[in-house]
Amino acid sequence: MTDKMFNHANNSSNNPNKDLEVTSPPDDSVSALEFSPPSVPQTFLIAGSWDCRVRCWEVEASGKTNPKAAQAMDGPILDVSWHDDGTKVFMASTDKTVKCWDLGANQTIQVAAHEAPVKACHWVKAPNYTCLMTASWDKTMKFWDTRTAVPSMTINLSERCYCADVDYPLAVVGTADRGICLYSLEGKPAEFKRVESPLKHQHRCVAVFRDKKSKQPAGFALGSVEGRVAIQYVSPTSPKENFTFKCHRSAGTTAGYQDIYAVNDVAFHPVHGTLATAGSDGSFSFWDKDSRTKLKPTEPLDQPLTKCAFNHSGQIFAYAIGYDWSKGYEHYNPAKKVYIYLRPCFEDLKPKTT
Amino acid sequence: MGRKKKKASKPWCWYCNREFDDEKILIQHQKAKHFKCHICHKKLYTGPGLSIHCMQVHKEAIDKVPNSLPNRSNIEIEIYGMEGIPPEDVREHEKQKSGGGKGSDSEDDEPAAKKKPPALLGAGPSGVTPGILPTPMGPVPPGMYPGHMAMNPMMSPFMQAPRMMMPGMRPLFPAASLPTTTPSKPTFPAYSNATISAPPTTSTSASNDPKENGEVKPPAANSCPLVTATGAGSKIVHPPEDVSLEEIRARSIKYRAKPKPDSQPQQAIMPSSSQAEVSPCINFGNCRLMAAILPTLCVFLWVNLS
Repeated sequence: MTDKMFNHANNSSNNPNKDLEVTSPPDDSVSALEFSPPSVPQTFLIAGSWDCRVRCWEVEASGKTNPKAAQAMDGPILDVSWHDDGTKVFMASTDKTVKCWDLGANQTIQVAAHEAPVKACHWVKAPNYTCLMTASWDKTMKFWDTRTAVPSMTINLSERCYCADVDYPLAVVGTADRGICLYSLEGKPAEFKRVESPLKHQHRCVAVFRDKKSKQPAGFALGSVEGRVAIQYVSPTSPKENFTFKCHRSAGTTAGYQDIYAVNDVAFHPVHGTLATAGSDGSFSFWDKDSRTKLKPTEPLDQPLTKCAFNHSGQIFAYAIGYDWSKGYEHYNPAKKVYIYLRPCFEDLKPKTT
Repeated sequence: MGRKKKKASKPWCWYCNREFDDEKILIQHQKAKHFKCHICHKKLYTGPGLSIHCMQVHKEAIDKVPNSLPNRSNIEIEIYGMEGIPPEDVREHEKQKSGGGKGSDSEDDEPAAKKKPPALLGAGPSGVTPGILPTPMGPVPPGMYPGHMAMNPMMSPFMQAPRMMMPGMRPLFPAASLPTTTPSKPTFPAYSNATISAPPTTSTSASNDPKENGEVKPPAANSCPLVTATGAGSKIVHPPEDVSLEEIRARSIKYRAKPKPDSQPQQAIMPSSSQAEVSPCINFGNCRLMAAILPTLCVFLWVNLS
């Protein structure tokens, strides 16, 4: 374990990409990062953290951030999700519950519970219903109408949920056994398809992408701990459409080994359909899956990137740095501060060919 | 005589020092391991060929031959099988092969090369069961576990149970009130040793009991711990255990559901709180233990719930 990443810290700046720093960042690693939906005129950023808190900032057009409010749960936060109307935020925690945070009233109420920490929560907005989808290490996925204490539906997963994403009518869940299961949320949630994992290592993050023309969910990007992302179509016209690419690996070798880092997060640009990956190596990259090219590599930071997000208009890219436990407990340095950065990204993410 | 001796030496791969019985196989190996484009998987014939391909087709510069030893990663040297190897390296190799057997490198390289085939297999289509893999050591006695894990990751699915028996952990097994700090400790020595080879991101699939597993896609459950694409030259920066970073992190005391700053402390009670009785799998604090107990528990839970 040569600490290339950490040695760096001493002699290079913390913000090599010269991005805008979010004020009053969380006290511990960011585990969830989401911008407000288009239904609200302003831009808000929500971050869930290992310090058990969820924070909300308003992001001004200038990039200036104003901390608005914060709420705490009884355990570290593992995921957050906005209600489509932008007035509420759902927060999933290791305390096995999910709470709904009413931003206007600044009050929280428990809306879901599992037998184990809740790894993912997603607000589902269908034409004929709305519900909260939660997935947990208890190997279940549940759907809640948020008004009753019992789930309206429970689906057993093959294993603990490691990652999930929803873009109505498609939900994708990645599990600890490298399972990938697709669910159709149309009418009523139902298993749609199980997919053989295109990756050989532990699934870590997943994001649904849309078809360029129809704007309907067409597939997903799946990141693993082995510095690799798979692009998978739900119904590929040819198997060649699916592919994997490597990322977040050290360019050189340290002590004779190339270091391969986990892909901690993957997100699609809402306008261009290109994507960003955030790595445990402390870098983020922008990619065009259609031309299969890297759009932009970046300077690595001195800590892993734990999460990233685009705002709904695709103008802002947010990413959080902090320790992700990839080197185990003994490399945790509480003195290292967590940061969230914002960068204008609309141009950087334009596909090359257009 | 001398000629004959020379003939007897096996063809070897300059990039990774691996030996082959036949130069044809060597060439196949080089195409697959060292000259394969990581983007489109096209197999090229030489290092420069690969470099040109990537530049022209994908517009990506490659500065090193994939999966090569650090000092053998030069992409500009044109090597095809045994042809083109710098003469001094040929001499060096010969010397190591013949000279005393204990040549510093050859000793190291040989096992490394030997280890690779299992990795290859393992990483291949996920249908491979770990059981058939010719792991050099076979199931390792639990006591040896931390040190050898890195080298023998395939054992993981079967080793989970023995792992449980590790001294110090055993008492925890039956108890529902398991989360103490101890269990997480053993992970870390193993972790630091894991630098030796690609850390096995072993599958926790041990926690799937066969039944559950069967419901899903059975083979996928056994992820392959060794990084094929990397073999000798790389390692995954991840704890050896194939459990998500979040689960590992959530085990540490610091992150056990802590009370809100102003509410009464419940940390101490937490592990043995009433739910623990119902099902220890609620104790997110210790996933490793969970992994072993889960099958039982889940059955229990299912029964309980239904």
